[in-house]
Amino acid sequence: MIEIKNIVKSYGTRKNKFQILKNISAEISGGDFVVILGASGSGKSTFLNVISGLERPDSGTVHYGSTDITALSDAELTAFRRETVGFIFQQYYLLPNMTVEKNVRMGADLSGNRDYLSIIDAVGLHDRRKKYPSELSGGEQQRVAVARALAKRPKVLFLDEPTGALDEETGRQVLDYICRLQKEYGFTIVMVTHNANIAEMANTVFKMNSGRIENIYRNETQKNAYEIGW
Amino acid sequence: MIIEFRDCIRLFGISVIVCLAVFVCTIFLNYNLDITAAEEQIAPEGRVIYEALVMTGKAVAAVSGGCLAATSLVMLLGYIRSFIDARAKELGVLKALGYSAPAISRRFLVFGAAVLAGAVPGLFFAYCYMPAFYARQNETGLLPDIRIRFHPELSAALTLLPAALFALLSMLYALSLLKKPPLQLLGKTGESRPAPRRRTGTDRPFLKELKRSTLRDQKLFAFLIGFSAFCFSSMTQMSMSMKDLSSESFSGMILTIGLLLAFLTLFLSLTGVVKANSKPIAMLKVFGYSRAECSRAILGCYRPVALAGFALGSVYQYVLLRLTVTCIFADYEGIPEFQFSLRALSISLAAFIPVYELIMHGYAGQISRMSPKSIMLE
Ligand SMILES: Nc1ncnc2c1ncn2[C@@H]1O[C@H](COP(=O)(O)OP(=O)(O)OP(=O)(O)O)[C@@H](O)[C@H]1O
Ligand SMILES: [Mg+2]
Repeated sequence: MIEIKNIVKSYGTRKNKFQILKNISAEISGGDFVVILGASGSGKSTFLNVISGLERPDSGTVHYGSTDITALSDAELTAFRRETVGFIFQQYYLLPNMTVEKNVRMGADLSGNRDYLSIIDAVGLHDRRKKYPSELSGGEQQRVAVARALAKRPKVLFLDEPTGALDEETGRQVLDYICRLQKEYGFTIVMVTHNANIAEMANTVFKMNSGRIENIYRNETQKNAYEIGW
Repeated sequence: MIIEFRDCIRLFGISVIVCLAVFVCTIFLNYNLDITAAEEQIAPEGRVIYEALVMTGKAVAAVSGGCLAATSLVMLLGYIRSFIDARAKELGVLKALGYSAPAISRRFLVFGAAVLAGAVPGLFFAYCYMPAFYARQNETGLLPDIRIRFHPELSAALTLLPAALFALLSMLYALSLLKKPPLQLLGKTGESRPAPRRRTGTDRPFLKELKRSTLRDQKLFAFLIGFSAFCFSSMTQMSMSMKDLSSESFSGMILTIGLLLAFLTLFLSLTGVVKANSKPIAMLKVFGYSRAECSRAILGCYRPVALAGFALGSVYQYVLLRLTVTCIFADYEGIPEFQFSLRALSISLAAFIPVYELIMHGYAGQISRMSPKSIMLE
């Protein structure tokens, strides 16, 4: 359960301050599939970074259970990220000089997960294990990033436009892997997108508009990655 | 214009090294030219000193000149490489638009200016210091007074020649890098990596693997860091032995060169290491690897390299000094063989370890200040 209260975040100098997040409050329950939907520049990424502990808000609190992560020191915040969250970005950010296997191991070693090979198999990359990122297609690279994030067994998985650089076919494939793995492991998903179709896969949708959550709604039924439009 | 003035300024380190090299070589070679011209006037009792001076002059000029020139060459080529890597997209666009590789690489001739910018002051300082140097070389008074003469051919060989050579090498190296098809420069088709070598112990933990791959894929940095330790070790120990063997001014000069070279190389290469690895570091942080783990993986891999460089430097200076001493005093009996100085080694090592660790600690701090979010700003 994540409890977000009165988050304010601005960028810029004192004179030229620009408020990106304007007093946002929300709740995310454990095991939920949340999509943060909004136009470009509405503050989605910033919001995601704040609630995942990558950035500090100017004010407000983010509670994971009884822990307020905005009050943690840098070292504690690092330990928090290590134990609790996983990340997938639009750019895959794989380590270019390591094989798929070693990239996934980057996540696995953090939680002492010895079973990381099965996750590589689960995203359908069994025969690509010894390849380097530059030898893979974009969709394959993103699946490596999925495997890497899940190998550390996060409680919450944060995704920022995970299909932003992919075509329809590979985009659906990546989303499908993510959904299926959620059913298996039961982690919480918080995903940023500007694609309203993808929001139909979510259980809960936060609609953002210029720094505020305009609307929160639940989908009656969740569609799977091959049922949504694109 | 792809190469701007400030790109040359970044080559400041190379200018400093070239300045040193030219300074040392000019002094010693100029002296050698002048003293050999006056060979007939030397009294028999001054012969030993004469030969020793000519010999050490050559040795010092060759060793320090060669060392310094090699360092600046490696640095320059490394710089050009990272320069092209960083601007690969820009250069790819230029090529795609129809600029030819030779046309682009001609602009790299400018880097020869960095060499000239160091060589000319080096020459100037050398002639400024020369009167004091000549006087000190003849402290015994056994040699005739030697007048300082200006040798234009030597000056040209030490300034214009290296500048032209470096400019040419820059251009050729850039040309060889730019020969790639534009798409590869643009990053559309990734450079395919060699298939991973079959290793038995492939089940290494991630951080160990990262340490290895950092070392393996950035050999230039490893070389420079090893070289920096090599310089520190050989030059400090040599300077301590020189103090006993010859004069204080020799030993002071060697010490200055050694320290400058060692620290300059170390700082430049560590800055390069941190810069080249900023993306992986940011990603490690996003995932929750701690500050200590990040810096141990990225910087820790160089510790054995530095120690190896140090050891090699100790052996090198011993062999070099021993050979020199044997050569100079070959015809004279009763001169003891040059002994390896454990004292010099311990002092040098005792200074090296804390200084090295302190500098590494500083760079670890730089790593810890990098924000995990920096990865998303590009
Ligand atoms: N480090 C920063 N410094 C200054 N302004 C920033 C910074 N990061 C983001 N912004 C600004 O904050 C606003 C919101 O950015 P954010 O990245 O959260 O938007 P977004 O909804 O994710 O947009 P997109 O869909 O394009 O990714 C933008 O106007 C952006 O210019
Ligand atoms: Mg965004």
